[in-house]
Amino acid sequence: MRELRSELTRLNRRGIWLGWLGLMAVFAVLINTVIYTIAANGSAPPGGGPGVAFPTMATLESSSGIVAGVSSAASMFGVITLSFWAIATASDYSTGLIRLLAAAQPHRWRLLLGKIGALLIWTALATTAAEVVNLAAALPSAEAAGISTALWMDDLVGEIARAWLTSFSASVVWGIIGLVLALLSRSSAIAISVGVGWVLLIETIIKTASSEAGQWLPGTTLTALAQGGTDDLSFAGAVLIGCIYAAVGLIIGLVIFIRRPITE
Amino acid sequence: MLTSIIETDTSAASITTDGLLRQFGSLTALDRVTVTLPRGGVVGLLGPNGSGKSTLIRILLGLIPPTSGQATVLGHPTTKPARYAGDVGALIEAPSFVPGLSARKNLLSLARLRGLPTTRVAEVIRIVGLEGRENESVRRFSLGMKQRLGIAAALLPDPALLILDEPTNGLDPAGIVEIRQLLKTLAAEGRTVVVSSHLLAEIQAACDYLVIIRFGELMFSGPMGELLDKAGARIEVAPEHPADVDRLRVALAAAGWSLEDDSLVVHGSPADAAALNRAAHEAGITLSRLTPINESLEDVFLEMTAAPTRDPVAASQGARKKASTNA
Ligand SMILES: Nc1ncnc2c1ncn2[C@@H]1O[C@H](COP(=O)(O)OP(=O)(O)OP(=O)(O)O)[C@@H](O)[C@H]1O
Ligand SMILES: [Mg+2]
Repeated sequence: MRELRSELTRLNRRGIWLGWLGLMAVFAVLINTVIYTIAANGSAPPGGGPGVAFPTMATLESSSGIVAGVSSAASMFGVITLSFWAIATASDYSTGLIRLLAAAQPHRWRLLLGKIGALLIWTALATTAAEVVNLAAALPSAEAAGISTALWMDDLVGEIARAWLTSFSASVVWGIIGLVLALLSRSSAIAISVGVGWVLLIETIIKTASSEAGQWLPGTTLTALAQGGTDDLSFAGAVLIGCIYAAVGLIIGLVIFIRRPITE
Repeated sequence: MLTSIIETDTSAASITTDGLLRQFGSLTALDRVTVTLPRGGVVGLLGPNGSGKSTLIRILLGLIPPTSGQATVLGHPTTKPARYAGDVGALIEAPSFVPGLSARKNLLSLARLRGLPTTRVAEVIRIVGLEGRENESVRRFSLGMKQRLGIAAALLPDPALLILDEPTNGLDPAGIVEIRQLLKTLAAEGRTVVVSSHLLAEIQAACDYLVIIRFGELMFSGPMGELLDKAGARIEVAPEHPADVDRLRVALAAAGWSLEDDSLVVHGSPADAAALNRAAHEAGITLSRLTPINESLEDVFLEMTAAPTRDPVAASQGARKKASTNA
């Protein structure tokens, strides 16, 4: 598909490699350091805010301990994904490149699908980078904190695959939200601010006001999705709501992109 | 059949517009413009800042819809841009690229989008004279180099119709001459090149056909040579005997010629010389002089585009705004 190859060519630049994969790797290291240090101190894990969900000691010592970092930092990875999807989308408008692209391929839905395809590939790459770094960081972190890793090898492949899939799926939904925000605002700064502001601020406020409604909000849902389900929201429920967010986002994105005149 | 007649009609034209109107809120950027542009040759699209040139180009490329009216490009309606997109290359306002990518990678991504062989990238880089710089990041390009890269992108599909919006913007004088030459060469190879500018002098030498718009209104559309005739070509006459000056004025006015005040300058093109001479002769006056006054095209163009139909204060504010955004 021409649109996909074209978009991949544009994304293949140093800023994206360093920025996207680099940030994922840095946070994979950080999260491992943090969760094991907290667990080792014996203090109760801080109540799961919308940003990070801290695993319990039992989780860390179970077979899924080795990928606990990936699940815990799901929101962080999500926000990074949201940002890069938003940057890749909004920069076409800020540079004016969208004029050339739409003039060369007037079937705009093909342009958008090409972009989404390319970003899916990048999200897969970034998820893989985060998981590889996580695997490398988990063992030394656990040893430094004196946490038993005896069960870690029990279902290694299964745990890794599960963590990758859930983390990837959650990130993709985050990315689609970033894409839609960028198409609406045509500005990556606004799209990222709204996306991050939502998770950090607005969603927390709504959750405080009504924990019932809170379960349906994107930050909470996607965290549950990345962790394979939580006490409040089952994995199946999270998958369902995540799919709804993704589908609604894709439809809104396509309609805006196809119908809005290009006046940049 | 009616449809086939229409199709044969428009196939001789590169671009047609019919009552093309585009409004942005209360502002009318294009005011019912109807033109037919020939196929082949260089077509100049002229107009001062904010006259609607870029708006027209955006409509032609299917980027924005007109408020009302229709247009065709290479025989296809602008409501179906996919039918002609492969044959049209365009530079729309400022050239636009991914700043963090090299010139070559930028062109490569556009070539891939159009399904073109990657060898075409090197070809267009050579045509616009960017060899040796193609692996540098576009971020470090000068304005003129970006402009060349924009032209290279427009040339990628080897288009039958090339639309360049102010291509000489930011180019040095040698670059302007070079691009002008390039446009002529491309047109000589059978392509249609539409080039917009707000400076007639810049493209005058290259154009075969001209369209002039001012504040969205069509002021002129026709072959280059027709512009002089149409827009106030004048002939200066003088009687053999200076005493006959007043009599000649009266006689010419009576014969229907319009004269400039207190002079013997008649509004008419060189083609009117014989008729003028006859009118003088019938009044019994022999002309000793019959000289067409050659106005520069720039004068004609300024005359056509200067008189503001809009509030002049608003117009100059618009111009200032434009200048500050360019800075
Ligand atoms: N997206 C838009 N929203 C509102 N007004 C617009 C928009 N695009 C163009 N205009 C207005 O339409 C008018 C024509 O603009 P256009 O860009 O077509 O002029 P132009 O002839 O290309 O000028 P220039 O020589 O400065 O490039 C201007 O008054 C401009 O302010
Ligand atoms: Mg313009």
